[in-house]
Amino acid sequence: MSELIAKLKSEIKRLFDEDVVDVVIAFKKADSPLRPQPAFYRKGDSLEDLEYNSLCQNNLANYLTRYPHETRIGIVVRGCESRSVNALVVEKQHPRENLFKIGIPCQGIVDLRKIVKQTGEDVSGYKEDQEKISVVFKNKEYQFDRKDVLHDSCLRCVHPNPVNPDVLLGDPLPEGDPGVLRQAVESFEALTKQERYTWFQQEAERCIRCYACREACPMCYCTECFVDHNPPRWTESTISPAGTQAWHIIRAFHQTGRCTSCGACERACPMDIKMTYLTDKLNEDMLNQYDFAPGMDDTTQPPFASFNLDDKNRFVA
Amino acid sequence: METKPKIALFQCQWCLYSEPDQYWVDHNLPPSIRLMKVSCTGRINTLHILNAIQGGADGVMISGCRPEKCHFKEGNLSALRQHEEFLNLLDYIGYERDRVRFVWLDLQDRGRIQQELADFENKLQELSTANTLATRINAPEGEVHV
Repeated sequence: MSELIAKLKSEIKRLFDEDVVDVVIAFKKADSPLRPQPAFYRKGDSLEDLEYNSLCQNNLANYLTRYPHETRIGIVVRGCESRSVNALVVEKQHPRENLFKIGIPCQGIVDLRKIVKQTGEDVSGYKEDQEKISVVFKNKEYQFDRKDVLHDSCLRCVHPNPVNPDVLLGDPLPEGDPGVLRQAVESFEALTKQERYTWFQQEAERCIRCYACREACPMCYCTECFVDHNPPRWTESTISPAGTQAWHIIRAFHQTGRCTSCGACERACPMDIKMTYLTDKLNEDMLNQYDFAPGMDDTTQPPFASFNLDDKNRFVA
Repeated sequence: METKPKIALFQCQWCLYSEPDQYWVDHNLPPSIRLMKVSCTGRINTLHILNAIQGGADGVMISGCRPEKCHFKEGNLSALRQHEEFLNLLDYIGYERDRVRFVWLDLQDRGRIQQELADFENKLQELSTANTLATRINAPEGEVHV
């Protein structure tokens, strides 16, 4: 991993030296070794605290929309992030020519909760290699298999390699199995209607309406979200059952054909609410009906934006 | 006494070609049916549908124009893509999909809207009321709900 960080540093240094970018979005070390933070480097900044490992939870594409279009951004992208960037480029949130994607094939993001559940909160050291993750807690070392502690959405990842990066650091990984993508949806669909509703109700109504999922999501870039809009109010913005259900339904629905299944929403959720089973279903429908997968290139419009008269046979009744 | 199911009818203002039909919808709707007249089905947001459901409607009916007949050229195409998928999502989380119905009307469909509404009412009476989404808390009497 230190080899990769060294490569990353020299690449970022080159970008600044050759004046390719104004700012580079990457990760840096934070107080806790378990929580690397997003960092924004400009020319002349020290790259000493630059960090990259499997604990980098955020989807960096989230920060793309916070810069003016003229800013030339270098961004460290893994598979899902590169697709998010593509989807944002399609939606004209940043011009492609002002972007420089530094691609890293991703082995999956480690779920903090799975580690902390077995050790404890105050982890003081972290190491990883291809297969093993080891953390130090109270002077005791814990070893985990990488597969056991990966985040759920990363276990279902199909495209670990960045899509059309400007430079690729590290060797490409084998593509995932599309069948695995269906797992969450399949196990949910196997339930009866009543069970599905009960499950949804239990998940949705635990919500405390902190909107961390929205803030973590690169595709949720609206300046005014429908839940904040008033008057008239679209939905109840309290934690009433109707309000939380409406939030979960519409938040997922607004991601139709746009969500890249990075799982940043679930990782950000303080209540550990499952959300990707909704967006995965919508994405699957988009793939089946319109043969569209979000973020696989930076020109194809998502289905809801590209309707045409070919649909006319679908008007039944 | 059996109460009639409450229906929210979203009607595109251009879709009823015959004047008596439009008059009937505007003036003689039964009290169990609420009319929301919209400028085009493309104007309907999925949140409108969700709000109707959460506001206590037993069923939602959307009437619009056939493809190529849309007053705004392609509002109905956009509406179909979105609302169909929205229904898939509602169905997926366990809501009765049949509680939302589309009616796409053409030039020759005179008197059809009454028939469709009656059919829909019958259908809704058959459905169980188990899996309905949580309803909103209504504003206190006399206050304006914003």
